[in-house]
Amino acid sequence: MAQIPNLDNAPLNLTALREQSQKELINILKNIRGKKCLVIDPKLGGSLSSIIQTSLLKEHGVELRYLSADPIQTDLAKVVYLVRSQLNLMKFISSHVHNDLSKGLQREYYVYFVPRRAVGCEKILEEEKVHHLLTVGEYPLYILPLDEDVLSFELDLAYKEYQVDGDTSSLWHIAKAIHKLESSFGVIPNVRAKGKASVRVADILNHMQAEEPVNSPEMVVPEINTLILLDREVDMVTPMCSQLTYEGLLDEFLHINNGAVELEASIMGVQQEGKKIKVPLNSSDKLFKEIRDLNFEVVVQILRQKATSMKQDYTEMTTTSQSVSELKDFVKKLNSLPEMTRHINLAQHLSTFTSKPSFLGKLDMEHTIIEAQSYDICFEYIEEMIHKQESLINVLRLLVLFSITNSGLPKKHFDYLRRELLHSYGFEHMGTLNNLEKAGLFRKQETKSNWLTVKRALQLVVEDTDTAIPNDIAYVFSGYAPLSIRLVQHAVRSGWRPIEEILKLLPGPHSDTKRGRFSSTSSFDNLYGSSASGDKVADGRRSLVLVVFIGGVTFAEISALRFLSAQEGMAYDLIIGTTKIISGNTLTETFVEKLG
Amino acid sequence: MANVSVAAEWQLLYNRYYRKPELYRMGWLHVDLSRNRVACAPFGGPIAVIRDDSKIVQLHSESALRKLRIFNSAGVLLSETVWKNPGGRLVAMSWTDDQTLACVVQDGTVYRYNVYAKLLEPNISMGKECFEQNVVDCVFWGNGLVCITESNQLFCISDFKNPKSSQLADTGIEEPPHCMAVIEPQYTMSGNVEVLLGVGEAYVLAVEEDGVQQLGFEVLRGPLQKMAVSCDGQWLASFTHDGRLLVLTSDMRQVIMEQECESALPPEQLSWCGMDSVLLYWDDMLLMMGPIGDPVRYFYDEPIVLIPECDGVRILSNSSMEFLQRVPDSTESIFKIGSTSPAALLYDALDHFDRRSAKADENLRLIGLSLPEAVEACIDAAGHEFDILRQRTLLRAASYGQAFCSNFQRDRIQEMSKILRVLNAVRNHEIGIPLSIQQYKLLTPSVLISRLINAHQHLLALRISEYLGMNQEVVIMHWTCSKITASLAIPDAVLLEILLDKLKLCKGISYAAVAAHADKSGRRKLAAMLVEHEPRSSKQVPLLLSIGEEDIALIKATECGDTDLVYLVLFHIWQKRQPLEFFGMIQARTLARDLFIVYARCYKQEFLKDYFLSTGQLQEVAFLLWKESWDLGQNPMASKGSPLLGPRIKLIEKVQNLFSETKEHTFESKAAEEHSKLLRMQHELEVSTKQAIFVDSSISDTIRTCIVLGNHRAAMKVKTEFKVSEKRWYWLKVFALSTIRDWDALEKFSREKRPPIGFRPFVEACIEADEKGEALKYIPKLTDPRERAESYARIGMAKEAADAASQAKDGELLGRLKSTFSQNAAASSIFDTLRSSFQGVS
Repeated sequence: MAQIPNLDNAPLNLTALREQSQKELINILKNIRGKKCLVIDPKLGGSLSSIIQTSLLKEHGVELRYLSADPIQTDLAKVVYLVRSQLNLMKFISSHVHNDLSKGLQREYYVYFVPRRAVGCEKILEEEKVHHLLTVGEYPLYILPLDEDVLSFELDLAYKEYQVDGDTSSLWHIAKAIHKLESSFGVIPNVRAKGKASVRVADILNHMQAEEPVNSPEMVVPEINTLILLDREVDMVTPMCSQLTYEGLLDEFLHINNGAVELEASIMGVQQEGKKIKVPLNSSDKLFKEIRDLNFEVVVQILRQKATSMKQDYTEMTTTSQSVSELKDFVKKLNSLPEMTRHINLAQHLSTFTSKPSFLGKLDMEHTIIEAQSYDICFEYIEEMIHKQESLINVLRLLVLFSITNSGLPKKHFDYLRRELLHSYGFEHMGTLNNLEKAGLFRKQETKSNWLTVKRALQLVVEDTDTAIPNDIAYVFSGYAPLSIRLVQHAVRSGWRPIEEILKLLPGPHSDTKRGRFSSTSSFDNLYGSSASGDKVADGRRSLVLVVFIGGVTFAEISALRFLSAQEGMAYDLIIGTTKIISGNTLTETFVEKLG
Repeated sequence: MANVSVAAEWQLLYNRYYRKPELYRMGWLHVDLSRNRVACAPFGGPIAVIRDDSKIVQLHSESALRKLRIFNSAGVLLSETVWKNPGGRLVAMSWTDDQTLACVVQDGTVYRYNVYAKLLEPNISMGKECFEQNVVDCVFWGNGLVCITESNQLFCISDFKNPKSSQLADTGIEEPPHCMAVIEPQYTMSGNVEVLLGVGEAYVLAVEEDGVQQLGFEVLRGPLQKMAVSCDGQWLASFTHDGRLLVLTSDMRQVIMEQECESALPPEQLSWCGMDSVLLYWDDMLLMMGPIGDPVRYFYDEPIVLIPECDGVRILSNSSMEFLQRVPDSTESIFKIGSTSPAALLYDALDHFDRRSAKADENLRLIGLSLPEAVEACIDAAGHEFDILRQRTLLRAASYGQAFCSNFQRDRIQEMSKILRVLNAVRNHEIGIPLSIQQYKLLTPSVLISRLINAHQHLLALRISEYLGMNQEVVIMHWTCSKITASLAIPDAVLLEILLDKLKLCKGISYAAVAAHADKSGRRKLAAMLVEHEPRSSKQVPLLLSIGEEDIALIKATECGDTDLVYLVLFHIWQKRQPLEFFGMIQARTLARDLFIVYARCYKQEFLKDYFLSTGQLQEVAFLLWKESWDLGQNPMASKGSPLLGPRIKLIEKVQNLFSETKEHTFESKAAEEHSKLLRMQHELEVSTKQAIFVDSSISDTIRTCIVLGNHRAAMKVKTEFKVSEKRWYWLKVFALSTIRDWDALEKFSREKRPPIGFRPFVEACIEADEKGEALKYIPKLTDPRERAESYARIGMAKEAADAASQAKDGELLGRLKSTFSQNAAASSIFDTLRSSFQGVS
């Protein structure tokens, strides 16, 4: 199975989108004649792997390298850099060029910025006196389809950049990406935003529409009916909780990278000592599609059932005589055997983590923090984690969760924990603490927390969650309904108005705007389930709601959204856009800044 | 029949009819072509007239200064200017494709004028050789020219857009050639211009950049006196020394036709009329010759100029402008005397219909199935007609016929009417562009529009582009720019209103481009007002910068959310202003400031420090310095106990002081203080242990390392120095001891005093080290039965775990423990019995 996901069943024509990006890249390579060394920014390399096969690159005379501080080792005379427009990468390029110059090597250099040229980056190249030696271009990759219903803008630092540094470049990129979608699928008539960054993106989007209007006369009804923009800032609780869906757990423990996990070959039953293999994870795998969004407990049961039934069939097959059609059925089942083995191996591997007392203890603590009833127990638990010097990221995750639900810690505790952290992990983490404080994730308490009110009003803690036959999104965290998805649930069902009071308790402003030709029609006021028949796209498909998470979304949240989408009486297909797929770990890591 | 009069004006040349309708009575007064040099642009373009200084003429009541006058094709004066250019006699002038008038004088300077007789800078020079040798003759084509000097050298400019003069190969002739012609670059094999020279021998010299060829010696019997290349570059018409008209292929290999003329004297003008016939002009006679048959003669009692067009020739005389063309087939089929073609019948039918005669119906019946082609012919003929009344009659005939036609393309008439409306509009005397329909199609509507706007006929251009459904942006943009240039006296605010009024007609027009023009015209304030209306920030911001509106540029860039634009403004200001001024400008602008900090943090750290210092953000300076202290540590020279540790510690002490300047940063200040203290201690430890393993580890790690090394006194010292809490101390020491598996020491430690956090650390350390025996020493000492139960469970002692759990009376705990023992049937049964036994209790 390929790592490039199959998008044929997507509710939007994402294949065309991907092919466009593919073509643009190939064109760049084609226009530079002959053999060339393609130097890719490593982070971008990951993204590209879900667009284009490496073999296809090689067909266009490409020798592939990854960008780092070390000089490029190649005999080729043409070097093509493909980099995100990040300031810190420019020094690498200029040092490469300087290195070549000092050796008297004459090369042609091309720099392609993704997704567009940046004045700041080029300024550095100018100051380093290499700009005139480079041919500069851009590769407008704004959107990356990760799966049938997930689009990523590949901005992994977005949240930290605008929360800590005040750099809003990513917000412009997000708006641009949505604007690009609109140029293919029509102007989205309803936009609901919550959170500072979200409202700003909605703003920029309108600005873009005014500057360069999307013209789509042939489109009767825009394919996307509603855009919901959600700022991660609004709900930092959810990503800090351990995800309990199958895919979520895979990400927590094995880290899913661009739709694949990399692990020891022996785990997957391949006897090759020390060798690592990549296991692709996307909707093309039928079994994975079926179980990815389920609570892990249930997944184990399902896999067991499937294995047993297959074993039974096999015994019957060998003992009794079968008709041809029965044989056929059996063979069909056999086809799913590789998928079965794959997921049984993965699940087995996962359960070695989930059965650990430390994991169970942590889960317990997360729920205790969310319940927000026993401050002291939580405080002591975290204190002890620090004393035991447990992994910093794990500590910070709980700490952030703790700080947010309490809207900060009393000064005494705040200073005490910070001191203990510095003592245990080193003073270089002053930078990390400073970042977390600037982002409001770990800070001094100034106002009373309203978490309890929010929790109660939105029914975030659901008792008696049946993970096997769930009736609420809370199943993804075994009892905690993710706040972000609760908001989406309300936004889709009835708009912001009924929950305005609660929205005010959450960070950032909110907005609800109508755009385009439909701005005057009132029938789009509310997205009332199936009653709004006008929302249907002509060919009978359900119309779409695009939910964009600014600052990233977790797999568990995606699962919850898919659960919502599959509910009876739901009039819309949901499609997800995100700056990046995150887990508590990856998100927290972006804030870690060692001074040393 | 009424049609007779039409055909009566035609002349028959062999089997083809020609007509010569008068387009205009010339509107000029006292222009005598014979006294002047005249340049007429094709496609009904303007006419430039200047007194010929190579002739001796009598001056009537006029100034001795020569005037260059430019008229439209109807003789309406467009502009005039006094000719004062140095460089000797005017050798030749001609209009280029984009309607600039190129005038070549003797010293090889090319002066260019636009239709307003405004000299376009800079003048082009044909080069030093031309200057020295004197130009004697020139031949022009669409966008280039070739000139010949007194010493018979050829120079060419192949494209006026990129006016560079180059010399062609040496002709090697002594005498000046009799005649000269060019084959345009687009029709030659090499893609470069080819010059044909009629010399005194029985061949023609073909001169190119890289060589000279003799052509035509197989077919010529003597020298050529006059040559003209057809408009598609295929044929060459020539007049021979013995008075014959010779038409050859342009490679001169083949004779197409040969005709005796009545004169041995070469004609003054030789020109193609379309592709079918050739015109020769002597003093008062114009001779038209076709491939066979007798020529047609026209007599003129005044001088004329032949202006070749793609489908005929325009004939300019002092008093009129005529158009000599072959009668189009459709027209011929309708108006030819005695024609019974369907189209003629249809045209006739309309006449009957108008006179309410029943013969109309009879005609229609005669036409029968040929009706569609009759309609088509009428439409086509209407298109070729210059006379508006006749256009109308023909179209009416077509529409009359169409009514009886079931399957005719209905929009043909409408289409033709549209074209004719446009043609009639530009043919108007005032506009004076007498385009035929063929010329119009070749020229394309968009070029016509750009010619109109160049002639400042903006309103007509706008109407036409609107009428044809074309983008009006070009027209409005040109109008606006011309208006700005022409309105120096109008105050900014008033002019802005006038401009906006028109600009709003066109959606998506670039206000920035208009503003840029205003700025170039020296109206900076107007530019600022205009740019305000530009919706595209990416266009607006750079312009605002170029007109010096930095503050507004920054605001606009920030508003639109495009950080790249903010950077653009940022760097601009940064470069132009003094640092302090720059800091002041960005201090109040959050986004610009933050982006500056991001950039400077990456690339200009010293400058960033200046910024923070000058704006009093000492804590930020402190952070930068603190970071620097590590960079010092990273330096291999500075690390591990070398004397350079001194500077590093000094730097951190400075950090501490900076933090202590502000009340809010007491914590940071304290941390910095501890940091420097720690480094000192670690340094001492490294010296005393002779092991470079301490510097840059954390306080907890330092304690652990000390214990692992068995240096308990040092560990204790670190503990007291940094006031490490008992809790942390116990965790650290317990784990350190278990790392080195010193179980005795661990037990001793447990007995020192009652541990402040109980025995859990001891149990955990032993279990993690997989020492069940050691763990069992401490498990019973755990006070919480739950913890006891879990610990027993972790080392696999089901019975003990169950007992402890039952003490805790916790059903949920039992359930969980049971699941950990699920593999073990015996153990799990224990839990089941226990659970059921106290289910009733809890």
